[in-house]
Amino acid sequence: MQVYTVAQITGYLRDVLESDGVLADIWISGEVSNLSGSSAGHLYFTLKDEASQMRCVLFNRKRLSVEMENGIAVVAHGRISLYEVSGAVQLYVDMIQPTGVGILHMEFERLKAKLAEEGLFEPARKRHLPAFPERIGIVTSPGGAVLHDITNIISRRYPLVELVLAPTTVQGESAVPGIINALNALNDRGDIDIIIIARGGGSIEDLWAFNDEKVARAIYSSKAPVISGVGHDTDFTIADFVADKRAPTPSAAAELAVPHRDEIETRLQNYIATMAASLSNSIQRHRQHADDLSATISTQVKNGISVNIEKLRGQELKLYSLSPLATLERGYALVQSHANGEVISNISQVERGDMIKVQVSDGQFNSRVTGSKKGLQS
Amino acid sequence: MKKELSFEQALKRLEAITETLQKGGMNLEEMLALFEEGAALAKICHERLHKAELKLSEVQTMFEKDEESEESA
Repeated sequence: MQVYTVAQITGYLRDVLESDGVLADIWISGEVSNLSGSSAGHLYFTLKDEASQMRCVLFNRKRLSVEMENGIAVVAHGRISLYEVSGAVQLYVDMIQPTGVGILHMEFERLKAKLAEEGLFEPARKRHLPAFPERIGIVTSPGGAVLHDITNIISRRYPLVELVLAPTTVQGESAVPGIINALNALNDRGDIDIIIIARGGGSIEDLWAFNDEKVARAIYSSKAPVISGVGHDTDFTIADFVADKRAPTPSAAAELAVPHRDEIETRLQNYIATMAASLSNSIQRHRQHADDLSATISTQVKNGISVNIEKLRGQELKLYSLSPLATLERGYALVQSHANGEVISNISQVERGDMIKVQVSDGQFNSRVTGSKKGLQS
Repeated sequence: MKKELSFEQALKRLEAITETLQKGGMNLEEMLALFEEGAALAKICHERLHKAELKLSEVQTMFEKDEESEESA
């Protein structure tokens, strides 16, 4: 017969208790009694009901969201283990709430505090969304209005993308593994620029998968940046806190994911106007060609700028009117040296007998210089 | 114009051309060539914005297995 030491048995008991999944993550309700505090800030108390009691210790008073006193009814969360010095089984409390607060709400607050402490919500780790995504993954239910709304909005704003649906249930028991699986399926492709994780509105029970720790960690470790769009204007979910960007609805998430093509149109117009103005300025500075050319371009540029963007929308850009080609159509010509292609802008560049190339609106012809005279033709 | 430019690349190139033209300091031929390239890029971007149609595809997930338990969310 083997004889054990006390330490061997308490150590063994402790191992048994700590390897149990239920005891590692447990909520217990009861009444507070024998409350005492230590100088180090720890709190010791007993939770009891009619039949029994359990020792509790709380090491971190910051987690207290309730004023502790003997006799109050609370719900405590923590893990159960054995304190070998006294041989007592006790609950190591990490969260305590007055009873009456819903258990889902308590679990939400507990998980939020835990993940915040781990740094999952840090603004510094949130990733930037690419300005012009090419492929957007959508984690949502394939049947609902959510996908329809997202598709509509992106199609209207910026139809240059490919939407890749990763279908999943978003409530009920299969929602948590489903959402994680869908996120992984998108990330495994390696070509997704943004992931939108979305669901329509609902009660806290309906949205529960978005408050799940495993889902939060899957969002945190996603390769592609994640936008959460869980339809609940007022309340946040854990998924909202951990996502790189949070939108209050699926539609708002779609709007965050892509630019608006009207804004890009405005940019295009500005580029064209700037380019044409630069060209015109440069021509003026160098006094090349006739002054008429720059005047023409300037006028057209001014006209181009003053055109209302609204009017331009949906129309073809009238680029040709800004192009020097239009000037040629009005009878001006571009003269280049036949030998080296240099643009001829003053008479010192040619001598009698030189071959020149003359560019007009519909083509070019060669010509020979028979003479030259200083001064503008009257 | 290279067809394989992405929309973002085309827009970036257009932006760069605009900046180069603004700085100036080159001859007329070079400016004309840049202007024409920029104008063509602007046209391409404009056309892509207005002619593109949203593409939809799907990745395989475990969803198919429990399709009958789908809820309308």
